[in-house]
Amino acid sequence: MNALIVRTAALLALLPLLAGPAVGAEEPPNIAAAVAAGQLPPLTARLPRVPLVFEAPRSDWTLGRYGGEVRTLMAKDRDIRMMVVYGYSRLVGYDEQLRLTPDILEKVDNVDSRIFTLHLRPGHKWSDGKPFTAEDFRYYWDDVAHNKDLSPFGLPQALLVNGHAPKFEVLNETTVRFTWQEPNPMFLPALAAPSPLYIYRPAHYLRQFHAHYAGVEKANALAVEAGSRSWAGLHQKKDEQFRFDNPDLPTLEPWKNTTPLPSTRFVLERNPYFHRVDSTGRQLPYIDRIIVGITDDKLIPAKAGAGDVDLQVRYLRFDNYTFLKQSEKRNQYHVRLWEKALGSQIALYPNLNAEDAEWRKLMRDVRFRRALSLGINRHEVNEVVYFGLGRESSNTILQRSALFRPEFRAAWTKFDVKAANALLDSIGLTRRDAAGLRLLPDGRPMELVIDTSGESTEETDVLELIRDSWRQLGIAMFSRPSQREVFRKRVFSGKSMMSVWSGLSNGIPTPDMSPGELAPTTQEQLQWPMWGQYYEQNRKGGEAPTSPDVVELVKLFEEWRNSGSADEREKIWLRMLTINANEVYTIGIVTRALQPVVVRDNLRNVPVEGIYSWDPGAYFGMYHPDTFWIDTAGRR
Amino acid sequence: MLQYVVKRVLLMIPTMIAISIIVFTIIQLPPGNYLESYIAELQAQGESVDPQKIAFLREYYGLDKPLVEQYLRWAAGMLRGDFGYSFEFNMPVTKVVGDRMFLTIIVSFVTILFTWAVAFPIGIYSATHQYSWGDYGLSFLGFLGIAIPNFMLALVIMYVANVVFGTSIGGLMSPEYIGKPWSWDKVKSVLEHSWIPVVVIGTSGTAGMIRRLRANLLDELQKAYVVTARAKGLPPRKVLRKYPLRMALNFFISDIGSLLPHIISGAEITAVVLSLPTTGPMLLNALKSQDMYLAGSFLMFLAFLIVVGVLVSDLALVALDPRIRLQGGVAR
Repeated sequence: MNALIVRTAALLALLPLLAGPAVGAEEPPNIAAAVAAGQLPPLTARLPRVPLVFEAPRSDWTLGRYGGEVRTLMAKDRDIRMMVVYGYSRLVGYDEQLRLTPDILEKVDNVDSRIFTLHLRPGHKWSDGKPFTAEDFRYYWDDVAHNKDLSPFGLPQALLVNGHAPKFEVLNETTVRFTWQEPNPMFLPALAAPSPLYIYRPAHYLRQFHAHYAGVEKANALAVEAGSRSWAGLHQKKDEQFRFDNPDLPTLEPWKNTTPLPSTRFVLERNPYFHRVDSTGRQLPYIDRIIVGITDDKLIPAKAGAGDVDLQVRYLRFDNYTFLKQSEKRNQYHVRLWEKALGSQIALYPNLNAEDAEWRKLMRDVRFRRALSLGINRHEVNEVVYFGLGRESSNTILQRSALFRPEFRAAWTKFDVKAANALLDSIGLTRRDAAGLRLLPDGRPMELVIDTSGESTEETDVLELIRDSWRQLGIAMFSRPSQREVFRKRVFSGKSMMSVWSGLSNGIPTPDMSPGELAPTTQEQLQWPMWGQYYEQNRKGGEAPTSPDVVELVKLFEEWRNSGSADEREKIWLRMLTINANEVYTIGIVTRALQPVVVRDNLRNVPVEGIYSWDPGAYFGMYHPDTFWIDTAGRR
Repeated sequence: MLQYVVKRVLLMIPTMIAISIIVFTIIQLPPGNYLESYIAELQAQGESVDPQKIAFLREYYGLDKPLVEQYLRWAAGMLRGDFGYSFEFNMPVTKVVGDRMFLTIIVSFVTILFTWAVAFPIGIYSATHQYSWGDYGLSFLGFLGIAIPNFMLALVIMYVANVVFGTSIGGLMSPEYIGKPWSWDKVKSVLEHSWIPVVVIGTSGTAGMIRRLRANLLDELQKAYVVTARAKGLPPRKVLRKYPLRMALNFFISDIGSLLPHIISGAEITAVVLSLPTTGPMLLNALKSQDMYLAGSFLMFLAFLIVVGVLVSDLALVALDPRIRLQGGVAR
């Protein structure tokens, strides 16, 4: 029996020699010794039988050399999760053209967005060398997702369609299938998210903490010993693939964390079982080690400028650009400007759920919102605050997206005081006080207070400029800086009339990505927090929307959720964008916000121009940091 | 005397209860709780949040319970030596504080030694040579030391070190030792790195101590018994050492009360600027992110040290200075 397994394994190990490009590829030097000493199996036995072969994504991309370490900084221990984002090893992931492609999976069969058959790569292994198989999916499904103690709130939203769970089947050792009655277009994007839906777990590792496998008493005893309240607590704590804080938890990422919390320096080592290879069959990642230092977030720009990092993007802001540029030469790095994927760098959010009845009525009046938008001199804001680098725009998607239409960007953005005043007059706000301020129907002067989170002077600078032009409409504007949590509370409870924040978080959508930001779906939406809450809590909390256009948006969003065809999803997207542009629910000001990226001179394959985006994009993730490499020859 | 000590120790109990209530209330005063500031922080970075996960955490951490219940749970836990659970690190508070506490004690202890070693000779010199050029010069430096905020000095030193010498400072040891078990090399590395924080943190303390020592000593030097001692022909150094200096040290003993917590907490802002792996930055972060048990337990520990420190310095004063009498007839 054993001999048979050994023989089969040997045969299987030979397979890539026949099929794959891994013939005679060199071992990464920093683990070559371990391989030679027999502590690690050779490359062919570590790779899946069909590894992911990484093809050059752009013309300036080159094959790399092994070795070296990359230093980066984070502000908190918790930020170590960013390494899962940068590593971006997902079942399916976005490539640089924002196409969904299989990554960990060898392929996905998708029937009408309803039946998904996931094919794993045979021979794929966790970072501890144990096989990654359908059992890991089954463990998640049966023992985590359907366990009352581990998942007291049931399945994750992305797995539910109109409240119904899918059927899960294990077809064989490397194939699993999810079947829904109705289409679930959210499924694949959720798997590709920077903070992904993990539908698999390293079962061989987690079983020891699970009451079902270890026995309730033993599991609980283990938990008490570790300082947790119950076995479920300990299981949760050990099972944080995204938090990345458990060095013992096997991973599929290119680098594995070796440092437990708390620490001021995290070391990530190469995962010798990583499933990607370059076109010459050499296993990725090229870089041996990632060093994550923890320091105060306000010091990070200073340290980046002092040359203490090899690659840094997080916690750098546009206003650090000149400072960083200044010491570029002395400390051998380059500052690049990537484009943020925000729909608008800065946008105003009239609160359609404001507490004050008079103001609420106005905020819900499209003429009022349009007048406010027309009354902003975007050109001036762009020149004064953004050195003319931005682009005047409403809060809509970016040109890069296939769904972009110029009219979305132009809608109600031309500075036109006369038209704005005419609109306000047509609402009936014709009475004015001695100072020329318009009066509300109940006789109060129109003094509009805008809440800011008080985090950047950028917001207050922009508001200062808007204040002057709105004065010409007969509206006095005041900004009220507070603190982030206070700010959110005030907006959610309706105490705030209007707030300022960044625009749409995903400005580069494809029709397959969720248009949830364009309709009330969550309380976090500053323009209609209560309507959002209503849908977030399954029509139990918050308030039901009354305005017909908003109701239509909700309907469209639900249609998108249940849509099985790509054409239909595109139509829905365009319709939702059109409604948003016409109704001006949010007032965008400038777009094309820039994000400085500090890159050491000899670090290769980091794109010169890129998009800085959370979802889709996973920040660096989309550009595959596992293919970044250090050119030691170019150091001179 | 014994009665006095017992009374003081018993008084510590209501004091600590009052402090614990105040600490808990103040931590809870800002709106929201840990999870809300966590969500807000994620969103400020453009990340999304899974509402289900938040619901799970809220229940798991007991944040949905009334405040009084949360307080009682925490207070009862502390009596049993359980300082609660840090949300941020997802582990018990004691484990989070662990190694940092040790490093903090080292830095603070060396800083205190540095302060004493520098402040004593200078203080004595400026008192005995009042209004001399030396006194003026050292007083000027002393005022500079008091006036320049520590973190500012730290920033300036960091900038100069980087631009002039091309080295980066900060941290308490070479990167390769972080997270490694203690070894002789690691100790050496810590010593090599610790002089900058020691100087930076120690400056204002040194300056303050010079001023206080000088003022106290000057008071004593003009008293009649000093004149008598001199008139009797005692050598000047012996006079100084034997009488006025000892009298002038009362302030020094009462300082012990505030010294103990200082050893543990370190200089928060300076530690943040220098990115020292001490407890200061951790406390600051815990307060910012409303990681209430970590912050609360830490503050309680500091409060406890203050209470103990004050007791110790009071007792030491009674023992050392015969002029101090126990009031209220307790030990008469």
